[in-house]
Amino acid sequence: MDLFRQYLAQRLLASAVTLLGVATIIFLMVRLLPGDPAQVIAGVLATEEDVARIRTQLALDRPLHVQYGLFLTRLVRGDLGRSARTSEPVLGELRSRLSATLRLAVVSATLATIVGIAAGTVAATRPYSAFDYTLSLTTLFGVSMPPYWLGLMLIIVFAIHLNWLPAAGAEGGASLILPAVTLAAFSVALIARMTRASMLEVLGQEYVRTARAKGLVETVVVARHALRTALVPILTVAGLLFGTLLGGAVLTESVFGWPGMGLLLVDSIFSRDSPMVQAIVLVFSSLFIMTTLVVDLLSVVIAPRIRYG
Amino acid sequence: MRTHPARHRLRSRRGLATLVVAGLILAAGAGSAGAAGTFRVAVGVELDTVDPVQTTTTTVANMVDYVTETLTMLGPDGKIQPWLAESWTVSSDGLAYTFKLRKGVVFHDGTPFDAKAVKWNFDRLKDPALRVPIRAPFPIKETEVVDASTVKVTLTRPSAPFVSALSWTTSAMISPAAADKQGNDYKNIVHTVGTGPYVFKERKKGESFTVTLFDKYWGKKPTYDTVVFRIVPEAATRESLILAGQVDLIVLPPVADLPALQRNPALKVLLAPGDRTIFISMNTTKPPLGDVRVRQALNYAVDKKAIIQNVLFGAADEMDAPMAPSLFGYCKAGKYEYDPAKAKQLLTEAGVKPGTKISFHHPTGRYVQDKEASQAVAGYLREVGLEPELQTMDWPSYISIVNAGPAEKTVHQLAYLGWAPAFLDASQQVLQYWSAYHPPAGLATTFYKDPKVDEWIMAADRESNPDKRKELYCDISKKVWADAPWLFLYVQRFPIVYSAKVTDVGSLPNEKFSAIHARPAP
Repeated sequence: MDLFRQYLAQRLLASAVTLLGVATIIFLMVRLLPGDPAQVIAGVLATEEDVARIRTQLALDRPLHVQYGLFLTRLVRGDLGRSARTSEPVLGELRSRLSATLRLAVVSATLATIVGIAAGTVAATRPYSAFDYTLSLTTLFGVSMPPYWLGLMLIIVFAIHLNWLPAAGAEGGASLILPAVTLAAFSVALIARMTRASMLEVLGQEYVRTARAKGLVETVVVARHALRTALVPILTVAGLLFGTLLGGAVLTESVFGWPGMGLLLVDSIFSRDSPMVQAIVLVFSSLFIMTTLVVDLLSVVIAPRIRYG
Repeated sequence: MRTHPARHRLRSRRGLATLVVAGLILAAGAGSAGAAGTFRVAVGVELDTVDPVQTTTTTVANMVDYVTETLTMLGPDGKIQPWLAESWTVSSDGLAYTFKLRKGVVFHDGTPFDAKAVKWNFDRLKDPALRVPIRAPFPIKETEVVDASTVKVTLTRPSAPFVSALSWTTSAMISPAAADKQGNDYKNIVHTVGTGPYVFKERKKGESFTVTLFDKYWGKKPTYDTVVFRIVPEAATRESLILAGQVDLIVLPPVADLPALQRNPALKVLLAPGDRTIFISMNTTKPPLGDVRVRQALNYAVDKKAIIQNVLFGAADEMDAPMAPSLFGYCKAGKYEYDPAKAKQLLTEAGVKPGTKISFHHPTGRYVQDKEASQAVAGYLREVGLEPELQTMDWPSYISIVNAGPAEKTVHQLAYLGWAPAFLDASQQVLQYWSAYHPPAGLATTFYKDPKVDEWIMAADRESNPDKRKELYCDISKKVWADAPWLFLYVQRFPIVYSAKVTDVGSLPNEKFSAIHARPAP
C-alpha cells in the first residue's frame, strides 16, 4: 500500500500545482479583457468619482504584481472577494449557483451512465440487429446535436405542443427533466458507443466462452463476467465526461434559464465582474481537477494492473 | 440558498423512474393558467440589485417599482404627475423645492412615510459612500424637514427637470427603519421595504423575484395577490413560456417572430413606443466626417424605412428629431428621406472619392438586432461608394473603444449606438450634443461642438418657464438635425407580449411595462 500512498501524494501535489497555474492564467485573462471594468460596473451615467472609487475597490489602480499578490493571499485564506456588480460576497452567491449546477450535472451524469451502459450492452449482445442500427443512428444524432438546438426542440415539443413540462426555470422536479436530458444527450451517446465497442471486444474473449461453456445463463455471463471487465475504460470516460457536463451547463443553463453557475459566468463576463469570473472559473477548474483525480484513483482501485505514476 | 436535500439525489434506477413519474404528474398542472391570483412575468435580465439607488437597468427598475414608489410619477402619457408628493413649489431662483407629502401612507414594515423618511432617503441618495449609478440628475445639497408632511430640498444648481427626475426609481422611498434588518445594511439594501402596492417576498438569484399584495396600500389595490418575475435570459425561451401558457407576460421576444406572435389569437403584442434613440455616431474629429456635407450625405444614403420593416420587423419608428417624441422638449425637426443620388452628389462636392474606407464599429446583443441593422447600414453606405469596415464586439470591449477620449485617442469613425435618457426630458438627450460631455468626461462620442448649441443647452437647464425651455430645445433640435453629428436612425419600440386571457396591460414610454393593475380578461 506504500506505493499507493506515494502515488496519492504525487497526484495531490500535481493537482495543487495545476490549480495554482489555473488561478494564475485566470487572473491574467481577466485583466487582459478589453474594456475598463470600473466604467462598465459603474454604468454609463456614473460620475467620475464613482468610477474612481470602484477602481480603488477592485485594486485596479495598483501595479499588476501587487494585484496578483493580493489575489493569491486572499485565495489561500479562502476569500474570493466581493462581486463588483452586486457588492455581495462572491462565496455566498456561488453556493446557491453551484448547488443548482451540480444538481443538473449529477442527474445528467447518472442518466447518461445508466442509459448509455444499458443501451450499449443490449446493442453489443445483438450486434447488427435492428436495435443496434437504431442505436447507432440515435447516438450519432446525440453526439452531433448542439445542446442549444436540442434544448429548444425539446421545449417546442414537450412544453409548447404537449404542455407536459415547464419550458424554463427551476421550480420543482419537473423543470429538471428537459435540461437534464439536453445536457445528457452527448454523454449518453458517447457512453453507449463506447460500451458497445468495449463489450463486443470482451464478449469475444476466451474466458467468456469458458463461462458460457460452464453452462451459465447468458444474462449472468454478460452482466457478471463481461460487463465488469468492459466497465473499466467506460468509467474512466464517464468520470471525465462529468467535467464536460459542467462545461456544457453554460449553454444548457442559458436555454432553460437554469439558475446555475454557467448562466452566472456568462452574465459576469459581459459585465466585467472580475472577482466573480475568477471565482467561477476557479470552481469549475477545481471540480474538473478533482474528478480527474478521483477517476485516476478509482481506476487504480478497480484494476490494480494499471501502473502507478 | 436553495437546496433540495434529498429530492434530486438519485441512487438507483427506481429513483430516476420515480422522479420522471413525479415530474410528469407535477407537470400536468404546469400548462393550465396559474393559480388564480398569480400574475407571472418573464424578463431577460437578472436583478443585479433591489436597492432603488443602485438600479441602472430599466427592467430591473420596473420590477423594483412594484415595491417602492417615488415622489412624482411618470404617467402613461409621458407627463409627470404627483404621487407620494401631492404638490410642490419652486423658489424663484430655481434652487429650492418644497414638497407637500401625501398623508396616511405607510411603509410595508409599518413605519409612517413622512418628511423624516424623505430626508433620510435623499441624504442617502447624495451620500458619496454609496454606489449610485444615476446620481447626476439629482443635484441635492440639503433636505430639511419643515413639518411632518413638508420637506424642502435645496439644490446645488438650478435644475428645471428635477421634478421629472424624481419619478425615476433611483429616488424611490424605502423605509429607514428597515435599513438594518433582513440582511440589509445602509450601503446595500437586499430586502426592499417600500410603500408600493406589493411587498417584497422572495428573491431567488438568477431565477425569480416574488412580490405579494400589501393590504395597507394607500392607493388603488391591484387584482393579483402575487406577482412572480422569472429571469429567463434567452429570448426564444421566454417566447416558449408565453406560447406554452406558463407565464402571462414577457418582454423582448425574438423580433423575427413578431409577425407570427401578432397572428396568434391567444396572445397580444404591444409594440410600446419608447425613448431609446438608435443612431450611428459620427466622430467629427476624423476626416471626412468633419464635413457637414458628408454627414448629411450619410443620412440620405440609408433607407431607414426598409431597415425598420425588414430588420426590426416594425419594432421601431424613424427619427424626425434628435430625440424621441416622448421627451419633454421634443419638436419635429425634419426628415432625411432616402436619396442615394443626393448622397453621392454631396460626397462628390465634399471631395470624398469612391472606395474611401471608413471604420464602422458596432456591438452585438446590446440593442434589438444591432448586428443585423449595422450590416444593413453598411450595405447602403457601400451603394453610395464608401467602403465601410465593420467591426463587431461585445459591449464592454465596444464601449471602451467608442467612449475613449479625448478626441486624439479615438480610433473609430462610425459607431452604432443607442441612447435612452435617464428620464423623459430633453435635458438628458442633449447631453449627447454638448461639448462639456465629450469623452472622457461624458458620452458625447461624436465630439460635436457648436457654441450656439452649448449656450442653449445651459440656458435651458436654468430656465424654469416650461414654454421657454421647450423653445430652447426646439432650437437645439433644429440646429443639431441640420449639422447631423449622428446618422439618425430610429426610436426603438419595446415589444411586450401578453396572454389574451389578461387585460389592462400597458406600457410607459421609457421601456417599462405597466401591469400592476392587470386583471383577468372578462
